[in-house]
Amino acid sequence: MRLEMATFRVTQIAFGATTALRNGVLTIDRAAVAAMALGDSNLTGVAVELAVPGESTRIIHVIDAIEPRYKPAGSTFPWFISPPDLVGSGVTHRLEGMAVIAAGDIPGAADSQGLKEAIIDMSGPGALYSPFSAMCNVVLQFSFAPDVHKPDATAACRKATMRVARYLAEATRDLKPDAVDDYELGKADASLPRVVYIMPTMSEGELHTTFLYGMSVTSTPALVHPNEVLDSALISADYWIACHRSPTHHYQNEPVIRALYKRHGKDLNFVGVILGRSLIPSAIEKHRQAVQIAKVAKMLNAQGAVITMSNGGHAYADQMLICQHVEQAGIATVLGVDEYSDTDGSDFPLVTYVPEATAIVSVGNQEQIIQMPAVSRVLGGERFLAGNDYEVGFQKRPEEAFPVGLRQLYASTCQLGYTTHRGRAY
Amino acid sequence: MATKLRVVHYLNQFFGGIGGEDKADARPAVKAGPVGPGVLLQKCLGDGAEVVATVICGDSYLSEHIDEALAEVSKLIAAQRPDVVVAGPAFAAGRYGVACGAVCKSVREQLKLPAVTAMFPENPGVDLYRRHAYILPAGNTAIDMAGVMARLAPFALKLGRGEAVGPADLEGYLPTGMRRNEFGARSGAERMVEMLLDRLHQRPFMSEVQLPHYDQVNPAAALSGLENATIALVTTSGVVPQGNPDRIESWRATKWLKYPIGHLQEMSAAEWTCVHGGYDNGYIRLDPQRAVPLDIMRELEREGKVGRVLPYLYTTVGNVQPIERARRFGREMASALKQDGVTAVLFTAT
Repeated sequence: MRLEMATFRVTQIAFGATTALRNGVLTIDRAAVAAMALGDSNLTGVAVELAVPGESTRIIHVIDAIEPRYKPAGSTFPWFISPPDLVGSGVTHRLEGMAVIAAGDIPGAADSQGLKEAIIDMSGPGALYSPFSAMCNVVLQFSFAPDVHKPDATAACRKATMRVARYLAEATRDLKPDAVDDYELGKADASLPRVVYIMPTMSEGELHTTFLYGMSVTSTPALVHPNEVLDSALISADYWIACHRSPTHHYQNEPVIRALYKRHGKDLNFVGVILGRSLIPSAIEKHRQAVQIAKVAKMLNAQGAVITMSNGGHAYADQMLICQHVEQAGIATVLGVDEYSDTDGSDFPLVTYVPEATAIVSVGNQEQIIQMPAVSRVLGGERFLAGNDYEVGFQKRPEEAFPVGLRQLYASTCQLGYTTHRGRAY
Repeated sequence: MATKLRVVHYLNQFFGGIGGEDKADARPAVKAGPVGPGVLLQKCLGDGAEVVATVICGDSYLSEHIDEALAEVSKLIAAQRPDVVVAGPAFAAGRYGVACGAVCKSVREQLKLPAVTAMFPENPGVDLYRRHAYILPAGNTAIDMAGVMARLAPFALKLGRGEAVGPADLEGYLPTGMRRNEFGARSGAERMVEMLLDRLHQRPFMSEVQLPHYDQVNPAAALSGLENATIALVTTSGVVPQGNPDRIESWRATKWLKYPIGHLQEMSAAEWTCVHGGYDNGYIRLDPQRAVPLDIMRELEREGKVGRVLPYLYTTVGNVQPIERARRFGREMASALKQDGVTAVLFTAT
């Protein structure tokens, strides 16, 4: 499988008469985007806005962030808006430096287990915690029918966002890319250690899940080629706690995969990606998954494994059980986690652990509180979602200044390790 | 030229040259200048500092009279007007490690002075005092004395000068348990891959999260005579009376509560609700007995299978509860349950 990723850099976005990319400036036909985003009875409207770096803009009710992608031949966003053919080979065009952000308040979805508030600040102290603050974003603010069935609502907005993401990337159809990267797992010397990447992904139920070619990831592990992840086969539908959601954008640009690819053939032999499920609701199924994942890793003759995680609470138990079984199969592991270290950093960071977890990388403590300033513009909604009433800051209006935990900042402690944010022991 | 820092060195009876185990009950005493390994400490400190005095105390005396001993030791230290206190190194000696940790804690809290010690990472003094003192890792015997002193001295100088102390992995002390967020040079993903390569090539690496040594809790003896037992219902599921009258939080609860249930045969949804924010509590709100099975306990009472159900529900919310607070709640509840004459607890968690 050889994926030729053609990158087209976007440095500015603006509304214009037609959608076109010239010298890094993407002009966008706003009416065309709005029309494309509708066409589903669950959506009663969409407002199309732009949010660029440095603006005093706060985006709330973030649902997902998708990087514009277009495959001239083959499926862009397989299952959802194109046939579920195999992706990860051939040419893919990507718009770098931008994202299409879906936002909106789904009626009836705001309770402690529903959609959680998720915030992106385009400037100020909060901006440090989001890679999207450095990108040009097209924000689609969806409104929904009042009695909408929640999974239908999220499905509608997901497809709409994908249609827009593909449409914008199609502006590059006849253009020359700024860069092309080849992703191919070529032959690697037999003496190099064989490394597998194990990704438990959020899959709790209908409302909070991760899709592989359009169907929920399950606890029976799926072996995938890293190119499939990079080529939009893995789609985030996790709308729960903001800080450790993995935006679809981060799957499309998966950082562990890219880091392993950099070393493939030089320091290691990257043998594949094993997808699992995070937040499995029963102990027996958690056990079953750990056994199965270790088996697949062993069948790949892996000598080392990077194991990330998704979400929190007993998601640590999923990861730790996988670690334990993989280590007991003779495979060395490194885990990527985020922390619950209390607001002052004084608590032990993990919810649970196993003695085999001797090598851990931390993407930071989600409980740190930062002061968000007042902003001039709010996109995504008018009030904070009610399901977050534990956060004191949410008594305020979203344009006001308020204290907030990193917990509510979108992807601020995403355990894929996309950013350099980390927790350090003192 | 900067004034020389004043250092006080704390030693036990053995390293202080008083005697061995036979002198472990020696009371705190002070000697001028460096003693024993303090001479090496002075050499390593160089011209930047002077070991003005050495305070020596027997390990048994300190552990058996801890409050008085620490008070005496602190007084002797304070009289020397030090800029920084160095204790040990204790290597693997358990009582000495605990003493060094306790002295450092006392110096920091009572005298408001910086302090540092060193010991083998598995010395019990580490888990007890890592939050309260800087502890440098040392080997398990005094064979490592020269190596440790070469690290203790510059660290002591840094503390004495009031310089900022950086992260544990850079500065070489055992993590205190405090964690801070920061942005670095490499992404989490890059660090994961590099740490894995270090492991695969057997190169030294430091985990960014050190696993703790939790206590082994021995379970209580099996119950006998259940028909005479008083059973308490205790829960972290967040079941509280309708209206949540004491306003317990849905997460990071700051309290645990006790509600009368002696007059009830069941926990009805009309009278009880659930406020835990970490799981879908809808099923518990529909029937609180899914978390607090009072109806079944009443049956067992009527059948004589248990003596009686304590007429109080002990409840709190377990969601995102910091460990130290959970420990405190556990101690307080245990004490209250004992006072209530409870034989056993039916404990439900979510």
